[in-house]
Amino acid sequence: MSNTLRPYLNAVRATLTAALTLENFSSQVVERHNKPEVEVQTSPEALLHPLIVSRNESERVLIEPSVNSIRLSIAIKQADEIEKILCHKFTRFMMMRAEGFVILRRKPLPGYDISFLITNFHSESMLKHKLVDFIIQFMEDVDKEISEMKLSLNARARIVAESYLSTVSLT
Amino acid sequence: MIILESHSVIINDVLTDRFEKPSRADIQFVDYDNVRFHLSTPSSKTQLLLSMGIQCWPDLVKYGAREHLQDEYQDYLLPQDQTEQEYDVSLIIDLEKLPESGEDRLALISRISHLKSTAMSSPFLSAFSEQSTLQANYKEPAGAQQADIVQPENKGELKIVRYREEEAIYIQATNDRVTVIFSTVFKEETDKVFGRVFLQEFVDARKLNALQNAPQVRYSNREPPLEIRHLPGLKNGEDWGYVTFVLSPRHFSNPTQAQANINRIQLFRDYLHYHIKCSKAYMHSRMRHRVAEFLKILNRAKPEVAATEKKTATGRTFRTR
Repeated sequence: MSNTLRPYLNAVRATLTAALTLENFSSQVVERHNKPEVEVQTSPEALLHPLIVSRNESERVLIEPSVNSIRLSIAIKQADEIEKILCHKFTRFMMMRAEGFVILRRKPLPGYDISFLITNFHSESMLKHKLVDFIIQFMEDVDKEISEMKLSLNARARIVAESYLSTVSLT
Repeated sequence: MIILESHSVIINDVLTDRFEKPSRADIQFVDYDNVRFHLSTPSSKTQLLLSMGIQCWPDLVKYGAREHLQDEYQDYLLPQDQTEQEYDVSLIIDLEKLPESGEDRLALISRISHLKSTAMSSPFLSAFSEQSTLQANYKEPAGAQQADIVQPENKGELKIVRYREEEAIYIQATNDRVTVIFSTVFKEETDKVFGRVFLQEFVDARKLNALQNAPQVRYSNREPPLEIRHLPGLKNGEDWGYVTFVLSPRHFSNPTQAQANINRIQLFRDYLHYHIKCSKAYMHSRMRHRVAEFLKILNRAKPEVAATEKKTATGRTFRTR
């Protein structure tokens, strides 16, 4: 693992662990409603300071805590056009399966590629440290997966071109 | 399967079967590039009628497709006025007058199943013959200082085969080579990016020593190449790609090899798009696998509920409803 990835992930892990102190909090605006405050944004006193952990220009994580929910948005590294397409396809593929990933948001925040929304109900029904582990693991693997897909695309293109041209050349 | 076959598998299978045992048939099927086939037995079981409808037939006729098919299929080919309606070419095969030996029969089946590629090869063949006449008539310019003087036209006619609605093949013979240009459109953003990767590899692959003999490949997107830039109605946009193959005379000096190369080059577009689709499918299966892995990791976060059997004091099983 490269020497800048480790501190980056550590920072995200520490921030996320600290932010994941959620409690049940009913809506102050609508009676008998219980909504993630970070999404509805109706009572400013229930929100905490958002925080950006950034590795470089293209890779960053935005963590928006609130009293009963936390929203985490990830911008994934996209060096060129191929990576952009692959990243878009991959995140879209995951977000279409958001009901399986209970903490995944169906739409990312503008400027980010994928967002998670963890409410107090999630943190009550699931182990907190394992949730953090999942986010960190996801961030590690998604970069790896995209670069592997890109390599396999290039390798395939090469084989395809060579086998075609070798049949057209003199035999 | 990396390389696509140039013959039609359906024709091949059906004919192999019918040559053994004649029976009724009425099959409609298709091939690449909007080619339609109809295989039927209109009058009797032993009279097989095979018709082909091909979108670029008017273009092909201009470049001598009819004559070429006549040479290739001779008596099997029906005259133009007896061709089945809505189709462009019809072949009639009398199962009672088949060649005797098994080898000849196999050769006949293979010839008929190449019907589409034979029809499509006529513009290539006429470009090849044009090239050889141009080469014979061509004289080296006497000196470098005369190079500025306008040289006599040493280019053959630009042949255009509009084999799909929007895409076309352009073939031009010059005194030392034959240039084949494909225009192709990528309908989707992903296809466009993948297509660019693939085409770049086609250009790069020739640098390998083993492929020095392959035709030179160039590609440009957006801008059409200079050879065809004067043509009206050419599209240039982000999703258009132009691929140029430069065939030198050694690629078609030997007739069997020329035919093999023509069959290959005709299918270039299908080959390219087929592999783009294949890699998309591969990406999809990879993503499926990866998402399943992520789900497993996430589910580890859920604490396991111990499913122990609950019993009442008297020893009965307690069941929650």
